[in-house]
Amino acid sequence: MSKVKVVFFASLKEAVGLSEYLVELDLPISVGELRQYLVDHLDKGGALLGPGVQSSVDFEFTRDTDIIAINTREVAFFPPVTGG
Amino acid sequence: MIRVQQDDFDVQALYKQLLKKNDTGAVAMFVGLVRQFADQPNETCSFELEHYPGMTEHNLQEIVDDAQRRWPLLDVCVVHRVGRLSVDDQIVFVGVSASHRAEAFQACDFIMDYLKSRAAFWKKETQGECSQWVDAKQGDALSLERWSQ
Repeated sequence: MSKVKVVFFASLKEAVGLSEYLVELDLPISVGELRQYLVDHLDKGGALLGPGVQSSVDFEFTRDTDIIAINTREVAFFPPVTGG
Repeated sequence: MIRVQQDDFDVQALYKQLLKKNDTGAVAMFVGLVRQFADQPNETCSFELEHYPGMTEHNLQEIVDDAQRRWPLLDVCVVHRVGRLSVDDQIVFVGVSASHRAEAFQACDFIMDYLKSRAAFWKKETQGECSQWVDAKQGDALSLERWSQ
């Protein structure tokens, strides 16, 4: 089992009610599998299925089919970015 | 140079940093500011800008690296503010120096387009008593498409 820190930002952080969450998982798994795990285990995890919720693994934007490797440190979920 | 900071920035100082002695033929700069929302002309407007420390800087560096692969640039400077910003405050600076204007203009435009869609920033706007997260604009995503043609 590997420990992975999951962090949330902006409106998703408010909807989930958490800024971060530590999970212990059998890696590798896909980003989509982690998303479903969080939906099942967090009280307000359903927010992760909201429209346009994006993800990153160790600071790289990812899709649900991307793999979270054994040495991953941090996964993030967040709404579409709105900088500039 | 890439900076994400709460403090305001000095455009003149950033411009001087972009100048490379004897080689600079063009500098293109963009400054984004907070404006009064047109539908609430009498309300106090402000933004709270959140970012993802580490990822945001990484995103910006990748965008700048991509621009430097596409065009022969002398220097690039990106400064983006975070925290609470009010009407007329500066939000973002993108500056590019090059030997010729075409690459300076294009690279500056390219960097802003990608910054809007591929850098981890989120805006929450407040109008009077109401606060809400700003939705991403479809036009920003469409702006990226012209760079892949």
